[in-house]
Amino acid sequence: MIKRKLILIMENKPGALVRVVGLFHQRGYNIESLHVDPVDDFSSYKFIEERLETKFKENEISRLTIQTLVSDSLMRQILRQLNKLIDVIAVSNEETTYLKGVLLDENLL
Amino acid sequence: MKLSGADMLMHALHDEGVELIFGYPGGAALHIYDAIFRQDKIDHILVRHEQGATHAADGYARATGKPGVVLVTSGPGATNAITGIATAFMDSIPMVVISGQVASHLIGTDAFQETDMIGISRPVVKHSYTVFDAKDIPRIVKEAFHVATSGRPGPVVIDIPKDMTAPENLFDYAYPKKANIRSYNPPVKPDQNQIKRAVTEILSSRRPVIYAGGGAIASNAERELFQLNEILDAPVTNTLMGLGIYPATNDRFLGMLGMHGTYQANMAMHNADLIIAIGARFDDRITNNPSKFSPGAKVIHLDVDHSSVSKIIEANIAVFGQVKNSLQAMIELLKQNIDKYSKDDLKEWHSQIAQWKSSHGLNYEMYKDESDAHPILPQAVVQHVYNVTNGNAYVTSDVGQHQMFAAQYYHFDKPRRWINSGGLGTMGFGLPAAMGVKFAFPNEEVVCITGEGSIQMCIQELSTCLQYNLPIKIININNEALGMVKQWQDMNYGGRHSESTYQDSLPDFVKLAESYGHVGIKVEKNSDLKEALEKAFSMKDRLVFVDVYVDPAEHVYPMLVANNSLEDMWLSKDKKT
Repeated sequence: MIKRKLILIMENKPGALVRVVGLFHQRGYNIESLHVDPVDDFSSYKFIEERLETKFKENEISRLTIQTLVSDSLMRQILRQLNKLIDVIAVSNEETTYLKGVLLDENLL
Repeated sequence: MKLSGADMLMHALHDEGVELIFGYPGGAALHIYDAIFRQDKIDHILVRHEQGATHAADGYARATGKPGVVLVTSGPGATNAITGIATAFMDSIPMVVISGQVASHLIGTDAFQETDMIGISRPVVKHSYTVFDAKDIPRIVKEAFHVATSGRPGPVVIDIPKDMTAPENLFDYAYPKKANIRSYNPPVKPDQNQIKRAVTEILSSRRPVIYAGGGAIASNAERELFQLNEILDAPVTNTLMGLGIYPATNDRFLGMLGMHGTYQANMAMHNADLIIAIGARFDDRITNNPSKFSPGAKVIHLDVDHSSVSKIIEANIAVFGQVKNSLQAMIELLKQNIDKYSKDDLKEWHSQIAQWKSSHGLNYEMYKDESDAHPILPQAVVQHVYNVTNGNAYVTSDVGQHQMFAAQYYHFDKPRRWINSGGLGTMGFGLPAAMGVKFAFPNEEVVCITGEGSIQMCIQELSTCLQYNLPIKIININNEALGMVKQWQDMNYGGRHSESTYQDSLPDFVKLAESYGHVGIKVEKNSDLKEALEKAFSMKDRLVFVDVYVDPAEHVYPMLVANNSLEDMWLSKDKKT
């Protein structure tokens, strides 16, 4: 078990955060720490915006940082489950990123 | 066009192509119910319990492939719907559930019939919406149907506070042509590189098995699967959820696999060198102990859901996309390489499978022993139903021994004919699901194979069947006990039947059916069985409840030995592999 950091870019909508937290509980994963920030400066997320049909507007997205203690295989499963949540736009760990459901081999967030 | 929120909801459902809603009214949904009264495009089916509404919509969705639609009120209406939503979620069935909610200003005040429907349903929905602004109703309906039906399908809840549907607030109505959810993008077309790798693996395999599940049905891939196997000529097994996707009467069909799968299906999976998994998720009823699962096999896994692949069994080659598209791509590439493949290479494999089948395959002739000296065997009931319906019926089932017997002995040649709660295992599913199927296909034979335990969990829907004149045939395999619980107690708890029997307190099902205005037939002797079933199915315009008393001591076999491999099976009460 290693401490891992996950980063999510997600819609800032009611119920979105509880879906993420609930998923950890439901699937038996543990959260060590959790941090949520609204994203004001979109400039570092241009590469995400390029893939979206509607562009980001103010107060529309949040950045979530989650620390969790997991094995490698479980890490992959957590990423995939988070990617399935409808409000999650992108999710990454140290090595990979799911961006709009597409798996990329680098940490873009 | 200026409409109220309630009228917009009905217009949106109609514009989405909805023809039927299953529901039950109540305070928070009354504006919507008034809108239903004032329109004539969508039929509303009044059930007797909200669980019945969700199962009926679920049965409708499984049989047609179209999303089922449910309308319930807040509080108990919403919580009663949860079991049905969870059932649909576990089996990836498209469904949209609209729940009334107390008015916005009352939310959070513990108002009458207030419950946090979004919170309660969250773990068992694909997604959910609360309407905060009535003008969003058309967009939310469009998105809900898009989410429910695309990718890996599932139930979506729309919670609507009462003030959002108030008749005095009017809005401009236009239904969006397209749902635009920027963060949602399920895979559709497979990666061609993965297809190449999969085909290379297939070409060198000598002991392949095709293992197809509910995802293949969800993707309507029966033609592609059949075409693939016209090229490969491989043995095919189906999961409980996949029955019918490959014709059961085809020579290459092994039967169902897993916990109560056939001997040949489990042996073939265990000894395969290649497993081609198509829309199946390696559930624990399939793998038994994952560390002992099919030790020599490589796995090609076709699925629309990233999180289903390599969750339990590591896939060597993962192909993401609609499995119909992935199969088409594989077929195309196989055709180009047809000179590198010879069906003859599988000869040895087929003769091995034939040997397994002849040594411990299911006994398909149980009904031939019809002497009244023996009690009726539950397997024989299913075989008779199969014969009387020419194998063409839509069969719904509940959960337990009768479900496994139906899965083993009713041979489904077409998909969407076998309607059962596979993942959640919901007793009470069968009768309301049969209603949903009958509404979708009024001219088809619809049979509910159930047990005296399960049928009593949604028995109230017999009243709905009378109201809408649904001539379903209910075959109650009555062993006067919770058969599957009892079987486990026989096998694992020294035969101590803790709380699994109630033979002195069962209702007279014939009278019960008659009191609901239907026909009841009781069968206690082998010699009466065939005639009783023929009589039941000859009454085309009546619901007939056939109460068949069967041998209470009968167990379902084969049965996997817990925590072992697929090779380890109980074949009868005293015989293990």
